[in-house]
Amino acid sequence: MAGQPDLGRADLVTMLAELTGKPATEVPDRIGSMELAWLVHLVEQRHERRLDLSDDQLAGIRTVDDALAVFRTALTVTADG
Amino acid sequence: MLLAGRPTDICLRLPEPVDRAALRRLVTAAQTRLATAGLRPGGAAALRMPPSLAYVVNLLATWRTGAQAILLDHRLTDHEVSRALHRLTPQVVVAPVRTGGGALRIFLDVTEGVTPYTDRPAVSGHAVIQLSSGSTGPSKVIGRTAADLVAEVHRYTRIDGVALPGERIVLLPSMVHVLGLVGGLLYGLHAGVELVPPERLSGDAVLAAIAAADSPATVLGVPFHIGLLAFTRLDGPLPQFKRMTTGGELVPVAVARAFTDRFGVPLGNMYGMTEVGVIGTDLYGRHRPSIAPAPGIEVREVDGELQVSCPASPYVGLSDPTRWADGWLHTRDAGTVDPDTGLVTVRGRLDSQVSVGGLKVDLTEVETTVAELPGVAAAVVVWDTGITAYVQPDGPLSAEVLDKLLAERLAGYKRPRTLHLLDQLPRTTTGKLVRSVEALRTAAVR
Repeated sequence: MAGQPDLGRADLVTMLAELTGKPATEVPDRIGSMELAWLVHLVEQRHERRLDLSDDQLAGIRTVDDALAVFRTALTVTADG
Repeated sequence: MLLAGRPTDICLRLPEPVDRAALRRLVTAAQTRLATAGLRPGGAAALRMPPSLAYVVNLLATWRTGAQAILLDHRLTDHEVSRALHRLTPQVVVAPVRTGGGALRIFLDVTEGVTPYTDRPAVSGHAVIQLSSGSTGPSKVIGRTAADLVAEVHRYTRIDGVALPGERIVLLPSMVHVLGLVGGLLYGLHAGVELVPPERLSGDAVLAAIAAADSPATVLGVPFHIGLLAFTRLDGPLPQFKRMTTGGELVPVAVARAFTDRFGVPLGNMYGMTEVGVIGTDLYGRHRPSIAPAPGIEVREVDGELQVSCPASPYVGLSDPTRWADGWLHTRDAGTVDPDTGLVTVRGRLDSQVSVGGLKVDLTEVETTVAELPGVAAAVVVWDTGITAYVQPDGPLSAEVLDKLLAERLAGYKRPRTLHLLDQLPRTTTGKLVRSVEALRTAAVR
């Protein structure tokens, strides 16, 4: 993955903390479309690749854990493909 | 007026160019479809569409019919939409039958369907109706007349620092809401400014849209978009990037500095409301956080509240002198007007309205909706760096069930990000619900 360590939940929480200006411990588990756009943007910057995500994948994301699962799948697909 | 001009002038780049001749053809065809479905002059068409060429075309076709356009954010739930349609009695409803495009798209590829709804006339003589999250439960209905919209477009032409004819606006806010609608779409069509929605909502895509042509580009967005750009690597010089202008809530100083350090272009600020459109601007970022009133707009401070000149009440079916009286709109924004310079400083809300990504949400609407759900005994909704709900169930109730029920009733941007289920909500000695964020936090960890 371009020398990047695996994406972890803590990475996403840190990214959300940057957006909201909250301490990481207070980042809510639920995320909306704005938080999601922010995460996709930062994950793409970090991994220097575009995530190939479908509308269905994005629509199914309600929480940080959902996002992590979708991003990991997308990063694996991109790395393999 | 909006469709006048040279047929070969480009109005939109999606990224395929759409020129005025093509736009006129599309609008004429849409007028026929709307008429066939039952839209008449003096009637209304409800547009429940995401930002798309189909939305632009049907909006213009509705106006050319001599009818009223009711703009419904595509993120509203069926529950919210059916309430609005019942009140506003459109003759037709325009909604997508097919939506294409990829994830995080800003502008979608939509094929629309037109459905007859009623045979009643429009509820008012306004050219456009917009909904704003309301403090009394259902949404407030806000109307703007054609003359008022024309006046706002002309106001834009007199503001120093807006995109000029022949330039481009990289458009991020939704054209369903006032900033994207008037500051983007209508001003762009009137002034001959190309509208360029980025391919998707990411920093890279915004920079790519700026770089896609040689003409100067102004990025129009909300503060969230400044953050996206400030966190985007810049691969080379971008001389076309002229300015970024945002509306919505105030921009934190650190975010503004990170942006200007990276791009070296002015970061402009705008203040406006759905009711009147643009009220004031600081497009060079010289007066941050203050703004100068837009040409033709008067702002005054009465008992700590900002009031804006507005000849007629913009509210439909609502006569409330605490919101509008005697030619003045009561903004419910706290603020000051400098007696020497006339500069206006907004200092926050006097009511329960908050801004989520530039969209106004009234916490009272959220709280009323939560409290009315089955299984809920009482609820308090507050802003604690995000919409936060404290809920006292009257039986077994899980956060998952609450989430599901809310998803049926409230658009995503209005839903609480944090839900706390408490056996007992904190109350005062007289039994009133406590609204202090600190007290609620303490009760939640107990």
